[in-house]
Amino acid sequence: MMVTLVIGGAASGKSEFAESLVLHAGDLPRTYIATMQPFDDECRARIRRHREMRAKKKFETVECFTNLEQLNLPQKGVVLLECMSNLVANELYSPDDAGEHTLEAIERGIRHLIPQCEELIIVSNEVFSGGCDYEGDTLRYLRVLAQVNRMAAKEADMVYEIVCGVPVCHKGEETKR
Amino acid sequence: MVFVTGPLYSGKKTYVKERMHWDDETLARLAVWDVQDRAAGCTDLARLADELSQKEVVIATEIGGGVVPVLAEERAAREAAGRLACLLAQRADTVVRVFCGIPTVLKGEEVQ
Repeated sequence: MMVTLVIGGAASGKSEFAESLVLHAGDLPRTYIATMQPFDDECRARIRRHREMRAKKKFETVECFTNLEQLNLPQKGVVLLECMSNLVANELYSPDDAGEHTLEAIERGIRHLIPQCEELIIVSNEVFSGGCDYEGDTLRYLRVLAQVNRMAAKEADMVYEIVCGVPVCHKGEETKR
Repeated sequence: MVFVTGPLYSGKKTYVKERMHWDDETLARLAVWDVQDRAAGCTDLARLADELSQKEVVIATEIGGGVVPVLAEERAAREAAGRLACLLAQRADTVVRVFCGIPTVLKGEEVQ
């Protein structure tokens, strides 16, 4: 069982890298845990496009917007969870969800997920180097997402930061792929 | 002096406390943090860097990674913060960047 955290900025190539990890994991069933809620047509179009792209790569898509700890996967194999930044926002801001207890809820969720996978790859967002002048509630979101990222980094065997499409290994022994 | 940098909420103070075996009180006495805020409006960054370097550990948050701010004052503050970080790194025996709770030594050797 291996857990990998892949983290990077917008359009850094983190999804492509994470998918390449899945493809290199070998001939295992592939599950994609999608966390983006379809709020409007733009979201729905984006989701449809991504779903079709992944279907060609033999992924089964499972949606999970909140409450990861209740998720039961249809198959044991390699699992790609994308993206932690959505899951945190969903938990923090959806009316009936974890709110203040987001970190604990997601930590329990990951521990619930791990025994259901042969390999787990978690994708998250690096949004922490652009200063701290934000309006309203944004700092709270950043603080919780950072806590979740650090928790995930602790759970993970491998941690990669993706810079311009290039993986920088922060934790674990990098293997030639 | 050890200079510790990294993104917002990346675990910089936690790292210093664990590494140095310090409690909050010792951290407050021997370290200084959020020094990026002190750069704004400072007329002599080299002198500020000299003063800060008297501490055992100096901690700054990276803030230069976003889009150039619209307001001139914020642009200047961000610029000064970046320059100050460079000056501190020059003066430091050890420079550590903490990313997602994981330290990487960029200069010198990690404190044993």
